[in-house]
Amino acid sequence: MPEPLLKVRDLTTLFKTSTGWFPAIRDVSFDVWPNETLCLVGESGCGKSITALSIMGLLPGKKMRRTEGEVVLDGQPLLELPDKAMRAVRGAKMSMIFQEPMTSLNPVLPVGLQVAEPLIAHGGLGRAAAEAEALRLLDLVRIPDASQRMAQYPHQLSGGMRQRVMIAMALACRPKILFADEPTTALDVTIQAQVLSLLNDLRADTGMSLVLITHDLGVVASMADRVAVMYAGEVVETASVEALFARPTHPYTEMLLGSIPRADRDVDTLVAIGGQVPAIDAMPAGCRFAPRCFLAEPGCRAAAPALMALRSDDRHQVRCQVRIAQAAPDAMRAGAIR
Amino acid sequence: MTSQPVLSVVDLAKSFIVRRTFLDGPPLSVRAVDGVSFDIKTGEAFGLVGESGCGKTTVGRCVLRLIEPDAGSLRFRGAEMSAAPAATMKKLRQRIQIVFQDPYASLNPRRSVGKALIEPLLVHGKCSRAEACDRVLRVLDEVGMPAEAFNKFPHEFSGGQRQRIAIARALVLEPELIVADEPVSALDVSIQAQILTMLKRLKEARGLSFLFISHDLGVVRQFCERIAVMYLGRIVEIGPVPEIFDAPCHPYTQALRAASPIPDPAMRVGFAKLTGEVPSPSDPPRGCHFHPRCPHAMDVCRTRSPTPVDMGGGRRVACHLFART
Repeated sequence: MPEPLLKVRDLTTLFKTSTGWFPAIRDVSFDVWPNETLCLVGESGCGKSITALSIMGLLPGKKMRRTEGEVVLDGQPLLELPDKAMRAVRGAKMSMIFQEPMTSLNPVLPVGLQVAEPLIAHGGLGRAAAEAEALRLLDLVRIPDASQRMAQYPHQLSGGMRQRVMIAMALACRPKILFADEPTTALDVTIQAQVLSLLNDLRADTGMSLVLITHDLGVVASMADRVAVMYAGEVVETASVEALFARPTHPYTEMLLGSIPRADRDVDTLVAIGGQVPAIDAMPAGCRFAPRCFLAEPGCRAAAPALMALRSDDRHQVRCQVRIAQAAPDAMRAGAIR
Repeated sequence: MTSQPVLSVVDLAKSFIVRRTFLDGPPLSVRAVDGVSFDIKTGEAFGLVGESGCGKTTVGRCVLRLIEPDAGSLRFRGAEMSAAPAATMKKLRQRIQIVFQDPYASLNPRRSVGKALIEPLLVHGKCSRAEACDRVLRVLDEVGMPAEAFNKFPHEFSGGQRQRIAIARALVLEPELIVADEPVSALDVSIQAQILTMLKRLKEARGLSFLFISHDLGVVRQFCERIAVMYLGRIVEIGPVPEIFDAPCHPYTQALRAASPIPDPAMRVGFAKLTGEVPSPSDPPRGCHFHPRCPHAMDVCRTRSPTPVDMGGGRRVACHLFART
C-alpha cells in the first residue's frame, strides 16, 4: 500500500484577536501523494494560506499558534521537530513560493546570488559551484538570457520573471513538495499561463508534489489532480478534480462553481451566495456554512459535521450531514438510532 | 434607423511623461492611449479588456476628463465635450459617473455613508438637504443596503458592501453613463456574483449605459454586449461579445482567450500559447505592437501598423492577416 508523501491530520491553528484566541483553521486533514498536484481553494480568509504556513512551521509566533494535529512528511512527523531540525527540512524537503515575489526577494542582492544562497546553506556547495547551479536553475525556469539576468536586481525584472526567480530558489535543493501560495494572482493572464505551465512541467519532470493555493477555480480546473475546498477555516470537500467539478457535493462548492462567470459560454444567471463569511471570533455553532446555505436544516446548526467519505467514492469527502444523509440514507438512519 | 450613441470616442490619444532620476536618463514619453475609437449605444454595456498597462483605465478617465486627453474627440449625446469649459463639464458629470476598483480607497473613511452620498446632490444643486436624504435612502435600498447604513462609516462594511455604497454614490445623480473601472476585481467570486447580478438589474431597470473596464474575460462576457480588446494603447479587435469570445480573429485576442482559465477540467487547454511579455509602452515595437509575440508575424507587421478592417456584423480587427489587398 503506497503511503502519501504528506499526511495532514486534524491540524488546528489559533489566531490571537483583541478578544482572545480563536481557531483560524480547524481540524484540517488531507493527503498529498507523490508527484500529484493538490489545489487548496477557497475565498479570502478561508485559511488556505494559514494551512500552508502551519505545515511549513512559518507562523508568526506571537499572533498564531498550532495547537493540535499531525503533519507527517515522507514518514517524518514535523510538528514536534525543534526549530533547527525544521529549518533543515524547509528548503531541502519542502519549499514555498508566495503571491508577491517582490516582497519575498531581497531588493539589494543580485538574483543569481539569491538563487545560489539555499544551495550554499542547505546543499553544502561552494560559492562558485552554487552560482553555476543557480544559472542552470534560471535556465530551467525558462528565464531568457539567464547568464545576464544573474547579475540583475529584482527591480530590473518583470513580475513574471521575479516569480520565475522565486521558483528557481524554491527548487534549488530539489524539494519533494512545493507549496505555491497564489503564485500567479498578481500576474496578467498570458503570463499566468506561462508560469502555471512551467510549474506543471517542473512537477512532471522532477517528480515532486505541488500544493497550489488559489482562489481561482479556473486555475484549479487546469492544474489540479485533487482539490480540497476550504470555507471558514475548515476543509469542506475533497475530491479528484473530475469528481469535484462533475459532482460538487457540499452546498458551498456547488454554489461557488455556479458563481463563476465563464469566458467560454454564456451563463444565464450567476449564483450569488448571500451574506458573507463569518468573522473568526463570531463563528456560528454547528455547520459554519449553515447561515448561507440553501439546504440548511435545524440539525445543521446543532452539531458541527465531520468530513465524511461518500459511499460511492471513498476519496470524495464532504463536510455536510444533509448531503451525506442523502447519499447514504441507511447508514445515517442506523447512526441516528444508535 | 440606429439611435444616437450615448458616447462616441474618436481617435483618442494620451501620452504621459515619465520623469526619471538622472541615473536613468532623460524623461520618457509613454503613449498610454493611441488612436482609440468606439461608440457606446444607449442601454448598452461596452467592455474594454486587456492586460495591465494596455491603457484601458486611461481611456476610462479621459472619458470623464479626469485626465485631459491630448487629442481626439469625445461626444456625449452628440455634443462635443473634449474642449468644453469647466462649467459645462460640471453639468455633464452629473450624467456620467464612475465606480472605481478599490472600495477601500474610493470612500472617505471619515465621512458617514449618508454624508458621502448626499454630497454630490448638494454640489450639483439638485435638491434640498431633506429631499437629498430621501433620495439617498431610496438608492441605498436599490443597491441592497439597509437604511441603517446611512449613519455608518465605511470601515463598518465588508468589501462587497462598500462596493454597493460606491455604486449607490454613482447612482444618486441619476446618470446616463457609468464608467466602471474593474468594479468587481477586488471581490471574492461569490460576492462578485452578487455585485454583477445587481449591476445587471440596475442596467435594465434604469436603462443605464456602461463603459465596463476589466481584465477578466468571464466577467466581461457575463456583463457586456460589445467589447474592445486593447493592447499597448491601441484597440486590436472590437465587436459583439459572443462572436469575439467564441471566434476571436486577432492573434492577441486568441491568445488572451486561450490563456483565460475555464472552470472545467475537460477544458485544460491553451497553457503558454503566448511567449514573451508585454513590451514597455515607452518603447513599443514598430509597426504592429503585437508582432514580437505574434505566431503569425509577417514582414509587413514589423514596419506598418495595421488599420482596422471591417469584418461585417459590427466587427473590426486591426491585423494585417485580414487586410484586403
